[in-house]
Amino acid sequence: MADVTVPAWVVARSFLWLSLTTYGGAQSAAIRREVVRRRGWLSEDEFLELRAIAMVAPGPNSPNLAILVGQHLAGTSGAALAFLAATVPGIAIVLAFALLSLDPRLGGASAALRGCAAAAVGLTFAGAVETTAMRRLGAMQLAIVVASAAAVIFLHWVLWLTLLVFVPISIALAKPAPRESAGA
Amino acid sequence: MVVWQLAAVFGLLSLLSFGGGNAIVPQMYADAVVAHHWVNATEFARFFALGRLAPGPTMNMSALIGYATAGFAGAVVASAALFVPAGLVVYALGRMWRKLHGNAWRDRIASGFAPVVAGLIWAGIPPVAGGAISLQAPGTIAIAVAAAVIMLTTKVNQALVVLGAGVLGFVLFR
Repeated sequence: MADVTVPAWVVARSFLWLSLTTYGGAQSAAIRREVVRRRGWLSEDEFLELRAIAMVAPGPNSPNLAILVGQHLAGTSGAALAFLAATVPGIAIVLAFALLSLDPRLGGASAALRGCAAAAVGLTFAGAVETTAMRRLGAMQLAIVVASAAAVIFLHWVLWLTLLVFVPISIALAKPAPRESAGA
Repeated sequence: MVVWQLAAVFGLLSLLSFGGGNAIVPQMYADAVVAHHWVNATEFARFFALGRLAPGPTMNMSALIGYATAGFAGAVVASAALFVPAGLVVYALGRMWRKLHGNAWRDRIASGFAPVVAGLIWAGIPPVAGGAISLQAPGTIAIAVAAAVIMLTTKVNQALVVLGAGVLGFVLFR
């Protein structure tokens, strides 16, 4: 695994382009296509490792991946520039969209946004179905999916409490190494 | 100062945003709509939709809540608070990575988070649905169902689905 070094701004340029052209669930796949396939900066295994960290860590996956890929290829400055390239354009665009749609002179924008909001409900539902179905969860894990959702919806548990209660249970139930069931 | 409240609320959400960010939707709703009244349920649903429509993470909607609350300063503070703390954590984790290499606990922790994150994504549906669909407007329900079916059965880019729904909304709800 020869470490590739790439100038920070070159890494940032790639993430700038990616952040302007990719959406939601497709982002991690698009990043892989760019840094593994097109540029050859990372091997498939290296990318999967970084992707795993990006998923375990808090934060949206694509800025996380930008930080990790930038760090891997160009150190701290690479991480910082890639992070900015992955976040700032999207925030600027979303603000521009909102300002346009809130402008009362654009009468139809509010109606259009109502349609968008309804579609977003469907997208969220589809995302929940896919997240649950794609991971091939066992019965115990499905019970945790239901219990953590119910705790938030019906008992109005706050996020940190939900994570604090269910993540340790879930980790304990995750398949232990075959040799022994680990204690603490 | 409302800006400090934005920083505190979104900074904490940032550190708790495991699973890609959408898992914090119910808590963001509880903070921004129920507790602080920064935006109402309809605005929240529309900001969420804009977050999905624009490129980048859906959590860019934090900038919109910040903007609605305290103008451009609010937008900058809320989005920085949402992205930077998590970014620092992932940076530190990236540096630790070589030490953790081959550690069985890493996979176990990851698989432990998975079902809880899935549960939190399900829990994000009611807050988003509350301001977006209603029985009084059957068109909104039809659009939501159609969007779900398209996403589950085709590989169409979700931004196109949201855009199409925008066109439908323009026709139906004007």
